[in-house]
Amino acid sequence: MALCASSFPAIINWGAASDPQKSTPFASHFLGGSDLVLQPLKKLNQVKKRPGGAYASLSEGAEYHSQRPATPLLDTINYPIHMKNLSVKELKQLSEELRSDVVFNVSKTGGHLGSSLGVVELTVALHYVFNAPRDKILWDVGHQSYPHKILTGRRHKMHTMRQTNGLAGFTKRSESEYDCFGTGHSSTTISAGLGMAVGRDLKGERNHVVAVIGDGAMTAGQAYEAMNNAGYLDSDMIVILNDNKQVSLPTANLDGPIPPVGALSSALSRLQSNRPLRELREVAKGVTKQIGGPMHELAAKVDEYARGMISGSGSTLFEELGLYYIGPVDGHNIDDLVSILKEVKTTKTTGPVLIHVVTEKGRGYPYAERAADKYHGVVKFDPATGKQFKGNSATQSYTTYFAEALIAEAEADKNIVAIHAAMGGGTGLNLFLRRFPQRCFDVGIAEQHAVTFAAGLACEGLKPFCAIYSSFMQRAYDQVVHDVDLQKLPVRFAMDRAGLVGADGPTHCGAFDVTFMACLPNMVVMAPSDEAELFHMVATAAAIDDRPSCFRYPRGNGIGVQLPPGKKGVPLEVGKGRVLIEGERVALLGYGSAVQSCLAAASLLESHGLRLTVADARFSKPLDHALIRKLAKSHEVLITVEEGSIGGFGSHVAQFLALDGLLDGKVKWRPLVLPDRYIDHGSPVDQLAEAGLTPSHIAATVFNVLEQKREALEVMSSRN
Amino acid sequence: MRCSYGLTAIPGTDARFFSPETSFLQLRRTFQPTRIKFGLFKIKAKIDEARKEMSFYELLGISERGTSLEIKQAYKQLARKYHPDVSPPDRVEEYTERFIRVQEAYETLSDPRRRALYDKDLALGIHLAFSARRRYQYDEDLEDRSEWKNRWQSQLSELKRRSRNRDAGGNMSWGARMRRQREELSKEL
Repeated sequence: MALCASSFPAIINWGAASDPQKSTPFASHFLGGSDLVLQPLKKLNQVKKRPGGAYASLSEGAEYHSQRPATPLLDTINYPIHMKNLSVKELKQLSEELRSDVVFNVSKTGGHLGSSLGVVELTVALHYVFNAPRDKILWDVGHQSYPHKILTGRRHKMHTMRQTNGLAGFTKRSESEYDCFGTGHSSTTISAGLGMAVGRDLKGERNHVVAVIGDGAMTAGQAYEAMNNAGYLDSDMIVILNDNKQVSLPTANLDGPIPPVGALSSALSRLQSNRPLRELREVAKGVTKQIGGPMHELAAKVDEYARGMISGSGSTLFEELGLYYIGPVDGHNIDDLVSILKEVKTTKTTGPVLIHVVTEKGRGYPYAERAADKYHGVVKFDPATGKQFKGNSATQSYTTYFAEALIAEAEADKNIVAIHAAMGGGTGLNLFLRRFPQRCFDVGIAEQHAVTFAAGLACEGLKPFCAIYSSFMQRAYDQVVHDVDLQKLPVRFAMDRAGLVGADGPTHCGAFDVTFMACLPNMVVMAPSDEAELFHMVATAAAIDDRPSCFRYPRGNGIGVQLPPGKKGVPLEVGKGRVLIEGERVALLGYGSAVQSCLAAASLLESHGLRLTVADARFSKPLDHALIRKLAKSHEVLITVEEGSIGGFGSHVAQFLALDGLLDGKVKWRPLVLPDRYIDHGSPVDQLAEAGLTPSHIAATVFNVLEQKREALEVMSSRN
Repeated sequence: MRCSYGLTAIPGTDARFFSPETSFLQLRRTFQPTRIKFGLFKIKAKIDEARKEMSFYELLGISERGTSLEIKQAYKQLARKYHPDVSPPDRVEEYTERFIRVQEAYETLSDPRRRALYDKDLALGIHLAFSARRRYQYDEDLEDRSEWKNRWQSQLSELKRRSRNRDAGGNMSWGARMRRQREELSKEL
């Protein structure tokens, strides 16, 4: 990228960040075809002068522009090995350039911004000190791995982030050898890191293992299970606790920033401000130093004891688990980070070490720093103003409708309470929290605890609604089976993000919930086909008080049907579906959002002279036997459609058809489910096409079953 | 020295760390913004005096369950009333003092984290003076950060010291055994 010192006649002001006084022209880029000119960056005293030109510098004035920022040093780095000869000063400059690159890239594609900005210095320090990919660096959850991806050979692909056939938004083993473990759900890296460390020990190798985990992920039990084991095995590994005091998502509720949830966060905070105790410890150290000599073992014991006693309740927690605690460390100071990491790296036989690094989410981009949610997850935005380009939609998301439905039910029934696991925004329960602050519980990233906690509430006669994403419910499956279903406790599960979820990819895909819920003997399993049905199903769930129930709804917005009056649903009759279109010959029995695809397929087939029956099953358990019998007996073809894996709705229908003798007749039955592979991230439309569940696919299936192959091909090739 | 702010009343922990010093309590009567040193161990009876003082909520004139909007409105109203520029000339000092207190109340109550801490202390009956509370912030300032550096440097040297003796024959942990094995293998080669 050439740096030209020529000035430009036309300067366009970019919002408030521009200041037309003596700007020193320093770099220019023309975005092919566009007539916008990069405003020359204002030189403030932070800009480092070097032979050959000035540098991109993030000042408090914070000019960000829509064109790619100049990143001369970052341009020379394709892989971490190119960093090895840099001085610490250059590393600082590299961090700044990396930061501006992250902002620029995320502004073009959307993605997770705040977390990535918080770990820029940490990423640079880690790659500088350690030798990936031989040294393993694991990123918990993975959404903060954007700087890591830029530094490890994927910078030229950053514009494809989270898009079909592009980079994944989380670390992924099949994408690069520098991503040593795939993450997406939280709190897995210490476990995986320990596994890699032990594997290394068994093979007799000497590489390092570093697991980066956040304070939010620390609220999950698995992190403690891993640390407990790590302390016991005493294998060499480094755990970096990235503490930015943000435990739940979004990092704010509707009224402003929320304090972190849980007792652990205050313990971590206390660790950071520990002065009086530290002074006492200095005294103790002085004493042990004086003992010295052959008494060093005794002195070591004294010091250890003193350390445990006075180094603060938080670090004792990690020490007790067997991890050596170092910190807190300023996570934005490259000097400190590099010297600590170098020290730990060169020390032999450390056992497990925990480095407590304090960072700020969204650091370096003022709009993110100031925002209540720290720009955790954003869509495309304008870097100069921080404004996101949110689309306009006539309808709201299913998440919002669910929250409104639950609020309406809770107004009428004071026993209704809501529980979520650090996902107040994602589940919509922030709205519920605002309305009923005493009846909404955020347990931190602890789905297992959330479910059993709900079970306990149900024992006391309350009506708990557990709002957990379909994919995260996988974590709590034993609790669902053993604590809820086995005892037949009336816990209601609201599973958002069911089916394919788009850009987040297979780590967040809710493919399996129908399968694992519908096989449980006491569970009522239902799925709304549109937002009005969602309101009714919330009411139904609230009314079912003698057994557990669940319902699933997809990511995305409603289709625009009329909502029930007062936003309060009416309980449905359990085990009864409905017929939407009466037709002949072919029946489509849809479950959940797939019903909309069935309706679209039916309209596609109208033009071919076929009038299909479309039915909405509503319930996967108990099935509407009468409806299925009727459809099977009066049609030639019965096709079930669902956005779930094998073993779900379709399989239950198959079981019933077989046992009822309906398959002994002349009806042709076909199930349409998600294919037996993981669907990669991409746009929802692309994913659905990849899965084979678009209306065109359904129509083509109908034609195939009716032996009209030509029409099937026609409908598949004419889809847009 | 700002020791005592870090040691708030946490149920179940050692009470002797929590008493504020006498002298600064008296200070609250006549508000002086000078920095005062206070020690760790003092008589707890003085805290009863604290209870007679107005809590931040009473100062702002809102209930303890006030929303952030209410707090903001109350603050704006009172700030406009007590600001030195608009206070009547004969009561400037008193009004200024109130203004500063109102401002502090707002600062604490508008930040949910600090408000949570304040509510907790209030429930336990401890109402530390404004100036003392001001230091009970979790926003790290530079002093804290340089403290950190000293701390982790000593932790690193301790780590190095420990690692020297770590794999001595007595240590039977799995990791130690594997490391010894690896050393022996590399020695053979």
